[in-house]
Formats: sequence, C-alpha cells, structure tokens
Amino acid sequence: MLFESLVAGFQLFLTPMAIGLTFVGILIGLLVGAMPGLGPLMGIILLLPVAIGLPPLAAMGFLIAIFVGGSCGGSISAILLRIPGTPLAAATLFDGYPMAQKGRAADAIGIAISASAIGGLIGGVVLIVASPLLAKFASGFAPPEYAMLAITGLFAIAIISGGSLVKGLISGCFGLLLATIGTDEFSTGYRFTFDSHHMLNGFHIVAVVVGLFAISEMVHQIAGNGLLKKPDINVERPGFGSLFKTLRHWVNLLRSSGIGVFFGALPGAGGVISSFTSYAIAKAAAKPEERYGEGAEGGIVATESANNATVGGTLVPSLALGIPGDASSAMLLGALLILGFVPGPILFEQQPEFVGGIFLVYMASNIFLLIAGILATPFFVYVLRIPKFYLIPVILILCSIGTFALQASVFDLMVMFGFGLVGILFRAANFPLAPIVIGIILGPILESNLRRALLISREGYWIFVDRPVSATLVAVNVLLVIGALVYAYRKRHKLFSRAEEA
Amino acid sequence: MTSKTLTLLVAAFFAIIVVIVFQQIHTSMHEQGIASGGPYDNAAAYPRAIAIIISGLVLLQVLMELVSGSRERIPLSPASLKRAVGLLVVFAIYLGCLGWLGYHLTTSPMVFAVMYICGARQIGKMLVAALAMSFGFAFVFERFLNVVLPGGVFNLNIPW
Repeated sequence: MLFESLVAGFQLFLTPMAIGLTFVGILIGLLVGAMPGLGPLMGIILLLPVAIGLPPLAAMGFLIAIFVGGSCGGSISAILLRIPGTPLAAATLFDGYPMAQKGRAADAIGIAISASAIGGLIGGVVLIVASPLLAKFASGFAPPEYAMLAITGLFAIAIISGGSLVKGLISGCFGLLLATIGTDEFSTGYRFTFDSHHMLNGFHIVAVVVGLFAISEMVHQIAGNGLLKKPDINVERPGFGSLFKTLRHWVNLLRSSGIGVFFGALPGAGGVISSFTSYAIAKAAAKPEERYGEGAEGGIVATESANNATVGGTLVPSLALGIPGDASSAMLLGALLILGFVPGPILFEQQPEFVGGIFLVYMASNIFLLIAGILATPFFVYVLRIPKFYLIPVILILCSIGTFALQASVFDLMVMFGFGLVGILFRAANFPLAPIVIGIILGPILESNLRRALLISREGYWIFVDRPVSATLVAVNVLLVIGALVYAYRKRHKLFSRAEEA
Repeated sequence: MTSKTLTLLVAAFFAIIVVIVFQQIHTSMHEQGIASGGPYDNAAAYPRAIAIIISGLVLLQVLMELVSGSRERIPLSPASLKRAVGLLVVFAIYLGCLGWLGYHLTTSPMVFAVMYICGARQIGKMLVAALAMSFGFAFVFERFLNVVLPGGVFNLNIPW
C-alpha cells in the first residue's frame, strides 16, 4: 500500500513543474526565514494565492518547500546578526552567534543547513511510515470522534500558542465563529451574510490570514526602528564538508530529530518548544569541554535538526486526521481544501498517489534544502543587507495582488484590510493569532461532525462518552484544560510571591 | 496605552461581534426558519453557543485584568505611532483607489509613499525602486500567473 502510493506519487512528482517549484519554494522559504519578522508561515500566506493557480502537487510542493526552507532560514540571521529570522531559530543563536564571532560563520551556517536537512529527512521517514497507519486507525472514526478531535486540536493550540489560556481560547473561538459565515451546509440557510453575495461562501481564508498576519506584521515592522539600516555583514559560502561535521554529532542529531518529530505531532507544540527542549537535553548530555553557549557545533545541530524534524511531525496529524499541528500546517490544509482535496483518512483511501506525491515533495524539499542552502548562502546574506524600507512595500504589493488574484475581487482586499486592523489590535493586546487560523480550519469539521453526531445520537450529548475513542478524547480535553489552569495558577502564584518578596 | 486599555478594546470588539451574532439569529436566521429545531435544521445553535462561550471568556479575561491590577504600559514612541498610522492611511487609500484608478496608476505612488514614511529621502532612488517594484510584480503576475490586475476606469493593462 505504502510502496504503491510512493510509486504512484513518483509519476505525479517527476514533472519539471513539480520539481522546479519545490526548488523555488526552498529558495523562497530560506529567504523569508532569513528575514527577521517573516518566517515560514508568512511565506506560505503570501505565496498561497500564487500556489492555488498551479497543478495540485506542484502547488503543495511549492508550499511545503517554503515551510521546510523557512524553518531553516531563520538560522542564517540568528548566526550572522544575532536576530533569529523566526522564533524557531531563537535557540540557534546561543551557539551560532558565538561561532560567527570566532570567525566560523560559514561553518555555523553550513552545520545549521545540514542539520536541518537531515532532521527534516528523519521527520520525513516518520511521516511516510506513521501517517498511513494513523489514517488507517482513524478510518474507523465517526462524527463524535472527529468533533472531539477538532476540540482537542483547538484546545492544544490555544493553550500553548500564546501563553494565556483564556486569550488563546478566545482567539480560537473567534476563528470558529468566522467559519460559520456563509451558507449552512445542512439547512442551506444563510448565516451572517447581510444579503451580500460576497459573503455567501464566507470570507476567503487567504484574505483573512494575509490581513491578520502580514498587514499587522508590516505595521509592527514600520513602528520599529532601523528602517533605513543596512547591516554590514559578509560571509563566505559554506562547503559541503559541513555535512560531515554535522554527521559527527550523529547521536545528538538522531535524538534531537526524534524530539522534533514528537513535538511536531502534538498539536500546538511546534518547532520553538522542540528546538529549546533539544538544546537543553543536548547541553545536559554534552561533555564540559564542548562549551555549549560559547560556539558549540552540537548546539546548532540540536536546535536546527529538531525544528526541521518538527515539520515532518506536524504533517502527520495534518494529513492523516485533518487536524493541523500549527498555523503553518493549518495553511497547508487550507491550500489542500482550496485545491479540492479533503485531508484525513479519505485522502489516503481515495487519492493514495497524491499522498505519495506529498511525501516525495517533502523528502525532495529537504534534499534541495541542503543543496540550495549551501550554494546560495551568499545570496541570502546579500538579501539580509536590504533595508526594511524596500521590504515593507514589496510585501504590501504582494499582499494586495495576491489577495486580489484569488477571485478578482476588491471585496477581498477590504476583508484583508479589516482583518489587518483586527490583527494589529490582537497583537497589541497580546492575543495570539495562530488559534484564529486553526479555528477557521477546524470550524467546519467541528460543526458538521457535532451536528452529525447529534443527528445519529438517541441520547443527545451522551454519544460523546458512549464511544471509547471519543470518551478518551473527552478525557484528554478535560485534562488539557485542568492542566493549563493548574499551570496558570502556579505561574500566577509564583509571580505574586516574587512581587511580595520584592 | 496600557495593557488593560487594550484588553478593554478587545472586549468591546467582541461585545460588538456577540451583539451581531444574536441580532442576526433573531432577525435573518429567524426569518429563514433556521434558528430553531433539531441539529439538522437549527443553524443558529452552534454560532449561538460559540458567542456565549466567547462572552464568558472575554468577561473572565477582563475580570482577571482588573483583579491583577497590572498597568503594563505598551512602549510606543510618537514617531513610531505616526509611521504606523501613516502606513495604514496610505494603504487604505491605495486599496480604495485600486479598483477605481487601476493597479498601474496606484501602486507606484503607494510604494513611494511607504518608503517616504519609513524615512527614505533619496527621491531619485525611491522613484526608480517604486516603478521597478510595481512593474516587476505586474509582469510576474500577469505574464506568468495569468492574473488580470485591476485596470480601473482607464482600463490600463499592459499586454506583456
């Protein structure tokens, strides 16, 4: 089954367009990852309107490659500028920047890219093996299980993404509410459409997400300093010898990749947690003479292999269950839906060749990452020297044309701008944005399965605890909330105690 | 502005959303006959439940902010605020005029204005950059992605 799916996937993947766009996606991913403030999510959001006009596998290859490249690109600015391009690379600067200060910037970048590629490939092996098994297990799921699974995904992301459980839940519920706008699939009635034909299918997810993330980020950037500053950096191209330097840390590499895959597969945990955890474990396991924090190669290997392995891990529940692991994979699911594919067990049953193709583009992305990352480093260094006042208008144009191109609609531009204002308010008030996206993606899954479950139930809501898997998920959800409340209480208690002591 | 003020602003935003949800349920959805009945016919139950949950959570958040008594000030200089507001105003004008005047007449001025807000003052360089960005993106999107950009009242589209 798996082998057949991969062979069939080869036929879809082995086209100049799919291979070419996967390579281009890696370059764009590295670029957006390297630029502080952007990152893989922003890359996927900005290029999604371009991707949905392409053949399905080429489009997914393009977006997955941006995800893979973007997860690694942040290390370049972390190493050279001491500013992580993305939060994913925050732990990389502990040893990457000191290494650069010692004149080993090219080595540090080479090791970061090699570790990312190998970590990504390990994540890919897990993805290829685990996701069909999970999909097979989930094929027995009925509406109650799917409804509870959607709630679990939303809870997990709301709890972890922004620090405050209540704020995360409010954002998630806002996403769920946005997903109800348009024509109801059961009654075919119109909800919150205000008699406007533009609203019959709700707001276009791309317009909403571009506004929430990209527009608010540009306002955040322009409010910051150093808009005209041109960083003075110069670095030689790293060699492929970095691969061997990375492989010397094979135990660290395997362990950190395993940690990355594990955290990736948990909804909400993501690359930041996995990279910091891997770094902490690698540091604890290292010999004193390795001098972590002062330019140790092992520190870069741990963080970079973990955050790229997370990408493979996060795709497991996304593809097999249709439950996104983080905001980036939620956007990939959004792309799949727009392209006409329904993620989950049905995708594995009905379009195994497409699933095989996705596995292959993911693996190819990591191989291209190694090649493009090492060969094109001087180009990314050059791009890092571009001042922000050139970058901000470029992104604004991309947001505008990209959103307009979705449906040739000026209304979508207004939606984008409106959600830009919402994004600015939420960011300022410290409300996380990622749960909104997850809410929009999970909303239709939750509502339709909730209503279907109630339709087939003779005992109302008891159906959710009558079935073993559903009951387990209910218990998980209760535990998640109790755990988050206890954690929040303890954190608050500690803060008050410290304040009193002071 | 303090974190408490911002939370109250978000609370006000959600209060408006919740009011809209209930207003729509009691008017539009009620008239369509989809505001009552079983799980199949009742399209209002789910958004109503979410609106109630949001109300509860927002209330909890506001109470937590009030009880904690923290008045963390958001650091924002007048110059930063001016730039942020300037960008929003320019972008809003750009989006408003895009359909009317078309992509080619609006994009270069928007790019130029944004660079100016950022503090750039090398007029010649900015002009070249604005034109290059505007036409560069138009070329890529129209030539390779078959996107027809808004031509506006003058129907300005370049046959690349």
